[in-house]
Amino acid sequence: MSLPIALVIGAALLAATVVAGLLLRRRDGRAVVVHGDRHVDPADLMRPLGSQATLVQFSTEFCARCPQVRRMLGSVADERAGVVLAEVDLTSRSDLAARYKVLSTPTTLVVDPEGRIRSRFTGVPARADVLAALAATTPQEARS
Amino acid sequence: MTAPAGIDPRGPRFAAWITSALLLVATVLGLAAGSPPATISFGWFAYQPLADATYASGDFAFIAGRPFWLQILLLRAAQPAFLLTLVIALLFLWGVLSPRTQPWSLLFRTLVRPRLDPPAELEDPRPPRFAQGVGLFVVTVGLLLHLLGVPWALPIATAMAFVAAFLNAAFGLCLGCQLYLLLQRAGILGRAPRLP
Repeated sequence: MSLPIALVIGAALLAATVVAGLLLRRRDGRAVVVHGDRHVDPADLMRPLGSQATLVQFSTEFCARCPQVRRMLGSVADERAGVVLAEVDLTSRSDLAARYKVLSTPTTLVVDPEGRIRSRFTGVPARADVLAALAATTPQEARS
Repeated sequence: MTAPAGIDPRGPRFAAWITSALLLVATVLGLAAGSPPATISFGWFAYQPLADATYASGDFAFIAGRPFWLQILLLRAAQPAFLLTLVIALLFLWGVLSPRTQPWSLLFRTLVRPRLDPPAELEDPRPPRFAQGVGLFVVTVGLLLHLLGVPWALPIATAMAFVAAFLNAAFGLCLGCQLYLLLQRAGILGRAPRLP
């Protein structure tokens, strides 16, 4: 292959990577509303569920963006009464990763007081989106 | 769980910029070189345009006495793309064995960090170190396949590593770190649960 063609392919690779990065960043951290009846076992969290909601964060030791999510969720949990944060380290628990179908970390679940999973975030969620998911979880609770 | 002392998260991203630039150059060189040489011909002398005549003929005389397979290996290893990728692989290895003394990390701490504001948060050094290991694995596979004569193995491997390094540098996405969970779930990686 001649050098000019190789340079063109190199430039195309760079452009494709930029596009992929922009798409990944746009998709990252979006909330997915979980329908149906999937529950979290409090024994897996090693702590009781919150009276209003529980934020479950899945991490590993090798997760570069988990600490920033932990700080953000921790401050949300501190501000809101009845909301607790449970961090689950999957580094040596592939059984839990399989049970909750976690393919990448950070993954965050918003869980209602009965342990039902209401929303799921893959990636770094925006604080406002977490607050919105909490708001969608707790009023249901007030009605029942 | 005891985490090691935190590092400035901008350090690994700075290093990823340099690594991705080197990997892009290696990919272009690998593409330009095409398939690894499979035969020895008069064209051999053209493979080392930088070497002076004395060196080339002396080198060739040394190689000529060797078995054919060794001559082929030396030819393939003398390609610029191979040599640059080998340097990148050694830098990855350095980053795995001793992240604090890795040259880009040293450059960041001595020249870049003093000019920046103090970091808002310190982060765990284990994820970037693991990702260096993933990078090392990918480029090593490319180097070995190139030596075996597999066409395009080297530029494909460096292109994959480039994508990961560039996404880390420009977007803060750590593909190597994401890989841990997938490998663990596939049963390839992982460790026994820690005893309490």
